[in-house]
Amino acid sequence: MKQEFTLEIHSDNNFSVLNRIVNILNRRRVRIKKLIAHEDESDFKRGVAVVLLFTTADMMEKVKHQLEKLIEVENAVYYEGSSEYCELSSKHSEV
Amino acid sequence: MDALLTKTKPAIESNKDSNQPKLKISGSEVLLRSLVEEGVDKIFGYPGGAIMPVYDALYHYVDKLNHILVRHEQGAIHAAQGYARVTGRPGVVFATSGPGATNLVTGLADALIDSTPVVCITGQVFAHLLGTDAFQETDVVNTTIPVTKWNIQVTEAKDIADAVAKAFYIACSGRPGPVLVDITKNAQNEMIEEAEYHRCEGIRTYRPKPVMQQSQVDAAAALINEAKRPYILAGQDILLSGATKELKEFSEKTGIPVACTLLGLGSFPTDHPNYVGFLGMHGNYGPNLNTNECDVLIGIGMRFDDRVTGNVSKYARQARVIHIEIDKAEIHKIIKAEVAVHADAKEALQALIKKCKPNQHKEWIDRFTKLNDLEYEKVTTKEFNPSGVLTMAEVVHHISNFTNGEAVVVTDVGQHQMTTSRYYKFKNPRTCVTSGGAGTMGFALPAAMGAKLGVPEKEVIAVIGDGGYQMTVQELGTIMQYKIPVKIVVLNNNFLGMVRQWQQLFHGKRYSCTEMQNPDFVKIAEAYSIPARKVENREDLQGAIKEMLAAKTPYFLEAVVGKEDNVFPMVPAGQGVADVLLEAPKAGQ
Repeated sequence: MKQEFTLEIHSDNNFSVLNRIVNILNRRRVRIKKLIAHEDESDFKRGVAVVLLFTTADMMEKVKHQLEKLIEVENAVYYEGSSEYCELSSKHSEV
Repeated sequence: MDALLTKTKPAIESNKDSNQPKLKISGSEVLLRSLVEEGVDKIFGYPGGAIMPVYDALYHYVDKLNHILVRHEQGAIHAAQGYARVTGRPGVVFATSGPGATNLVTGLADALIDSTPVVCITGQVFAHLLGTDAFQETDVVNTTIPVTKWNIQVTEAKDIADAVAKAFYIACSGRPGPVLVDITKNAQNEMIEEAEYHRCEGIRTYRPKPVMQQSQVDAAAALINEAKRPYILAGQDILLSGATKELKEFSEKTGIPVACTLLGLGSFPTDHPNYVGFLGMHGNYGPNLNTNECDVLIGIGMRFDDRVTGNVSKYARQARVIHIEIDKAEIHKIIKAEVAVHADAKEALQALIKKCKPNQHKEWIDRFTKLNDLEYEKVTTKEFNPSGVLTMAEVVHHISNFTNGEAVVVTDVGQHQMTTSRYYKFKNPRTCVTSGGAGTMGFALPAAMGAKLGVPEKEVIAVIGDGGYQMTVQELGTIMQYKIPVKIVVLNNNFLGMVRQWQQLFHGKRYSCTEMQNPDFVKIAEAYSIPARKVENREDLQGAIKEMLAAKTPYFLEAVVGKEDNVFPMVPAGQGVADVLLEAPKAGQ
């Protein structure tokens, strides 16, 4: 059953990283409901993307591992629901 | 195989006196020096406007870097793949911007899915022209994101060496794959102080080799030790991790039968008593049927591709699955494993050899033998002893016998590929080179060329269908120019045979756009100064193959085979592995 997941991805802040991330989600036809991406304020060489997705738990787990295969991605963690997205996105928009 | 360029010394010698100001060298020379430092000795490429500074610098490096001028960039990357597959070293490609780079896309996709280390260097327009739709400007980085393990655009000469170092590290480590470095022309031209080259030894965010968990090995060993009908599916990571010795030792200690995937062929000797056959849609009868009879299924360095599993809902439902795999994203992707060992195949097998008890499974192996005997009786005997026109099977069978299963055999995609995989008796690692996951027609001729340049001491034979041959036939020019003594066998049925087979079996014999009117292949080969022969009669076949193998030059052999021959066994699309057919279903079935 599909549901909302909040996906938080920590990566290097290189050109094309966001494209790589979105490409994996698109290829799996995972619906992106919201997305926020930004540089790490303390280190511009790093970045974070927070994505609100609508998909199944099984797909979420598979996509996580595919994202972590990307050379520049340090890790990808996800949480059920949108509350984490709201919290993370408001935290980042304060930055 | 001689490079035709005049060999000269490098234009600039390194300055050994540290008190003197450092010499300045161009970004192009930084690139070439970096390649030399990485141990590169061959480059497959095609020049053009945006990579001309690199080719200009290359003029002075011909004693270190042997550049093979192909006839199309797709030929370059397939040649690099063939080189990489037989040597284990990365293949290197040069191409220019725009169409030069986009012509690499098919090869990149092929190399990515088949885990082949390839480093592509593409020229790009000047940095100030990026995004302006300049002549031969294509957004190569974004175009190739889905088909590369990693890629990068470099716009300043100072970043070239680091990008190349990372490229080689990423291409060759973990699960290997293709990378692309796109270098703008200004970066190629820019003069910078020469600097010492440092090979990449790690990337903060990239963990190529997993730390194997002993608990996973223990759980796998426990399942294996209890198993009554265990069964190993050997994939390409056996070859990539250099684990052929370990696989043999593991199988012999535990008595477990081994079947190979398409890319796993060569990982286990086909003449070993524990070898039970080739897996997949056109694999052997026993290995397919017994997938649904085993109690423990051990997938090693393979990804449960849909050509192996058929309908997943009917695949090995009774079995407890152990999946040994270096790429975490492959674990549980298609088949849910009861025990997953996230490790490279060699390390995992070494650990399992210690943990698993000695055992024998003779009765279980006999069940494979009986099924394979049935296949031999119903399929193979007819293919080896036909009454009419030549069959693909008998051609491959003779080649296998005459080379004692020890040649490097490169195949294209289609019926001839499946026939070769079934009947060529591969004995050694890195001798089967084929396009597996992508199924790229046109792969074989350039890949065979690259393979021969990689292992010149070995016999390299390309087995190709008439359709795929014509997709990259222009590489005969490269073979001619560099005198690459590759042997080319075209199995000509004047059809796109595999598509025609499906049309016959599943589309009411409606042969829609699959029959081909072919040119005189012998004349084409001869036009490229390649000795050539056409065989239509059985009495000429063995002599022609012997003549081909005796040739010290490139050689072309066309074998005219049955127009409507089919490849069996076959697991029909959408069916389970236990639904494997030995012959075409009767009308109404």
